[in-house]
Formats: sequence, C-alpha cells, structure tokens
Amino acid sequence: MSTNVLICDDSNLARKQVFRSLPESLSTDVQLAKNGQEALDILRDKKIDILFLDLTMPVIDGLGVLQALKDDNIELAVFVISADVQPEMQSRVMDLGAKAFLRKPVQLDILNENLKTHGFL
Amino acid sequence: MLDALYHNITNRLNTGILILDSDFNIVMWNRFLEVHANKKDNNVIGKSIFTVFPELPKKWFERKLSSVIQLKNQSFCGWEQRHHLFELSHSRPITTDSHFMAQNCTFLPVEVEGEVKHVCLLIEDVTDVCHYQTQLNKALEDLALSNRIDGLTQAFNRKHWEECLASEFSRARRYNYDLALVMLDLDQFKLLNDTFGHQGGDKVLIDTAKSVNDLLRMGDMFGRYGGEEFAVILPNTDLVGAEEVAERIRQTIASNTVDYQGRSINVTVSIGVAVIEAEDTRYEDLISNADIALYEAKSNGRNRVCLAKQCPTKETIVA
Amino acid sequence: MNAFDLTEDQQDCLQELINVAMGQASDQLARYLDTFVYLKVPKIEQVKSEQLLVTLNQDLKATAVVSQGFFGYEGIRGEALLMYQPQDSNRLADLLGYEADELTFDEQIIDLSSILTTTFLNVFASQIDNQMSYSAPRLLSPNLGAVTQHLQQQAFNWDLALKVRISYQVTDYSFNCDMVLLIPEQAIINIKTVIDRILEEF
Repeated sequence: MSTNVLICDDSNLARKQVFRSLPESLSTDVQLAKNGQEALDILRDKKIDILFLDLTMPVIDGLGVLQALKDDNIELAVFVISADVQPEMQSRVMDLGAKAFLRKPVQLDILNENLKTHGFL
Repeated sequence: MLDALYHNITNRLNTGILILDSDFNIVMWNRFLEVHANKKDNNVIGKSIFTVFPELPKKWFERKLSSVIQLKNQSFCGWEQRHHLFELSHSRPITTDSHFMAQNCTFLPVEVEGEVKHVCLLIEDVTDVCHYQTQLNKALEDLALSNRIDGLTQAFNRKHWEECLASEFSRARRYNYDLALVMLDLDQFKLLNDTFGHQGGDKVLIDTAKSVNDLLRMGDMFGRYGGEEFAVILPNTDLVGAEEVAERIRQTIASNTVDYQGRSINVTVSIGVAVIEAEDTRYEDLISNADIALYEAKSNGRNRVCLAKQCPTKETIVA
Repeated sequence: MNAFDLTEDQQDCLQELINVAMGQASDQLARYLDTFVYLKVPKIEQVKSEQLLVTLNQDLKATAVVSQGFFGYEGIRGEALLMYQPQDSNRLADLLGYEADELTFDEQIIDLSSILTTTFLNVFASQIDNQMSYSAPRLLSPNLGAVTQHLQQQAFNWDLALKVRISYQVTDYSFNCDMVLLIPEQAIINIKTVIDRILEEF
C-alpha cells in the first residue's frame, strides 16, 4: 500500500526539492498544494499520511494549517520545512503538533532520517 | 616558512590587528598597535583589554563583542559614530588637529569548527579622512550660512527671508496659526547718507539691525528686505503682540544713538504691521499689506507704527 | 517584461533563494533584539537603474539609509542599501532604547542593518556556492536628497537593482524596511546562470 504524501509550499522549487528528496524505497502517492488553503481543502477531502509544510506562505500560512488540523482533529504526521529558523518558531510548531522541524533548503539525508525516526521507512 | 612570512607582513601592515578571547583577554596584537599605543608586549598579552586600554567604553564594548560571538557576524564601528575607540597616537600630529587617531574598527568573529572563541579587531587609521571630511563639512556649513545671510547686517538676506516667509505662510494656513509681519524702514536715510557718507550709512544699518535682532524672540525671522528696509516674521503672533514688538523696536531705535567717527547720529524708523487674513492666499499679500501700512506711517510723519488697513482696529498712530 | 527577463521558474527559484536567506537574517535579527520576529513573505521587485530614482523619489522619504558594499567570486558584487521610513526608524528607536555608555541609535541602526545585509547575503551566497566579503557599513544621510543625488551620479553604473521589501513584526512593534541591492550586469548574468543550474538539478 502506498503512503499518501502532501507537499505544501508556495515555491515550486521548494516543492520539487522535497519531492526529489523522498526515498525510492517509500512507495508514495504525492499531491501538491501552493498555500495553506489548498492544503486544507485536500486534507479535509482525503486521508493523508504525511504533510510536508512550509510556514511563510500567502492566504493561510503554516501555523494556520497546524491550528486548523488541531481544531478539526485531523491526525497525520506533519514535517515543517521552513526558512524561518527562529528557536521560538520551532517550538511553536512543535507545540502545535508537528513531528519535526527541518530547515530549508531541505537536505536529503536529514529528511530520510526523520522519516525513519517516525516509522515511515 | 609561511608562518614567518605572515608574521613579517602582519607586523608591517598599516592596520592594527588585535585578537581577543571571549573573556576579553588579549591573545595577540601586531606592531602597529604596539607602536601607536606605546605599550610593551609583556604588559599586554594575556591581559584584559580593559586593563590595557582603560579608555574603552566597557559596557558598549562588551555588548559589541558578545553580539559578534553570539551571532557569528562581523560588526563595525566607524569614526563618524565614534571618533576612536583606542587612544592611539597618529602620524599626522602637525597637519591635523585631532589628538588621537581617528579609527574605523572591524570586529571579525574567528570561527573554528563552527564555534567562535576569538574575535579579531582590525583598526584602521582614518585620521586623514576624518580631518578632511570635518573641514569639508565645516566649509559646506559656512557656505550654506553665507547663502542665507546679508554680509553687512548679518540679518537673513532677501532670498532666504522670503523662503522662510513662504514656508511660515503655508504652515499658518495649514494649521490655522497666527502669523504677523513687521516691515520697517529707516527714516530720511538718503539725507543721512548725504550727511555722513555711505560708511556712516552702513554703520547705521549695522547698529539698527543689531538693535532689532536683540529685541526678537527665538523663532522670529529677521531679514534685510531692501537697501534700508528690514522685515520681521513673527510666527504664532496676533496683531496685538505684533504691534507691541513693533512699538518696542520703534522706541529702542529712536532712543539709541549711533556713534560714527566721534559723532552721534540719531535715527528713527517707520513701521508697518500686518497679520495673516482669511482672504490672503499668497505670502506676497501679507508683504503688500505691511508695505501699505509702512507707507502710511511714512506719510503720516514718520517714526511711528501703522497697522494694515483690513485689521479691525484700523490704524493706531503712536508718538 | 522585467529587466532580468526571468521565466516563471527562474523567478520562483530566486524568490525561494531569497526566502531562505531572509529566514536566517530574521533569526539573527531576533537574536540581536532578543525577541521573536514575525516574518512575512519578502516582496521582490527588480528595478532598472533609471527607474530606481523614480521609485525612490516616489515612495521613500527615508530618514536613515545604510549602505554596505559586498563582493564575492565570479563577479558577484554590488551595494546594498537599507532604507528606513521616518515612522519605522522612530519605532525602531523606541524598540532599541538607549542607555548612556551603550550604543547610540545611529550605531544600532548601522549594526542592525549590517546584520540583516550580511546574514542575508551570506546565506544567499552559500546557496549559490559563493562567499561574500563586505566593506564597512555607512549611514548615508539623514535625508533622501543626498541619496537620490548620489544615485543620479551613480545610476549609469548599475543595470539593475533588486529591491527586497522586508516587513517585520517584532512583538508589539511592526516595522518595515527596504533592502535595495544594486548589482552590475555581470553579477546578474552570473546569478541567472546559477539559477539555471539549480533548476536543472531539479
């Protein structure tokens, strides 16, 4: 069975960077979203296992998505991938239920390590 | 081999190099600093920088250094903000007037394996730059001043005075402030020139300007409008206040005597006063109203203050 | 259409490089101010040198302008201007405070600008396999007149300026500043090549 993955980032390049970093050993069905609103529309419609989430985005930002997931009791593994690396921001997203904080630009080995830690590999 | 080369060059550089550890102790310095600080190596290496250079602003320096270490980011301190950090001698003691070397300082974090344990200070001698820039600034200031000042009387010149009036006028219009204008003209000035010569006339102009200037408040703007005509802008002043100022000017000038080559010259002035009125749309309206009042003061016998016509009190003749 | 003549992909790539650089710059800013900084997506504009004067004249009555030169490998060099509007530099002054024997406001705004500029460019450079050095930052003038005058004489040297509008919200305070990077043509060509290289990799 394949893992349902959603990559949410306003940058096409960043989405591709995440997509290319996904390990081949993980059989995935990948969907893309350009902002928080698009991501929430997909998440409310369909069961997603892993969300890779940017923070600084138009319409609804990453924190907004995390809050909405909490409010709607949608459970899934969220990996935040952001350039906003302030310690306080990192602890905020963890408090909102993210599994991990990864700094941009995302590194292949770090991404895989995190997937392993949380049992996806 | 390379080490010896580096050492040699470091000591010949015309820039100070100082390396500090995170406890503010001096780890290394180069010859430039040794010479300009005139201190011996063994009193410096391993010692706290605040002991070696007690003149340093301690709090400032600590904050600067800790931000460099914490942020791993270089930082600067230019002579324009702080003339110097270290009291060092410089090599232009005769051609410049500064006592200590003007400095541009760079604080560089020295990162080894991702950790900053030392900060390198580069100290450049910018005494020349500072000296010439200061002279240039002074010259520009003088130039700007001389562009605004009438050389003979030291009052504002006509051009600058009118610019002031224009801006005061629009300010008064915008915020609905009072604004008054006092124009004064020396009586019988032509006769005075004929009697005492132009140099005598100049002396009268200089003394009169000084007397008027001494009577004004901060914020009042005094200018030489024409040959023997002066004008004062009185911001935030109503007709009563302006008339008081005008009357004080008239009395002071009339009671003073001008000494010229052992002779006493008595002078009087005629004064016109106007305040900003609802129908005035341009600052020139204010000038012409004051001018008309001044003309009236002249034709009514001089040495008096007249108020502009459209003012409710019409006119008051003094003396 | 724009002076860079970037395709949509190139534009997106540049924006992402800048976002990452900006993210780390605001982290540094937060550490310097010892507070949390809320970051918005930086707005990037490319301005032709002849338009720059008009742009600056229109929307900048800047009270503080801090200039800092930068230079790296492969002909990437230029001048960064950080411009603060009067209301923003007033807010900043409130935020920074001032104690005797501490840094003056001028010193703090220079430090702050230098932190923003150097962190931003360091991270930007590392993403394109480059490394930057910097000249000392200078507070240019208390009014814009001198800056536009200065640019008027300089403008022909610069083919394009990259204007990055940075908006920060710092706890109770929010302030904006504009970072304008003046970059000569060779540097632009080089950056474009690097962008293409990155795009090819993905």
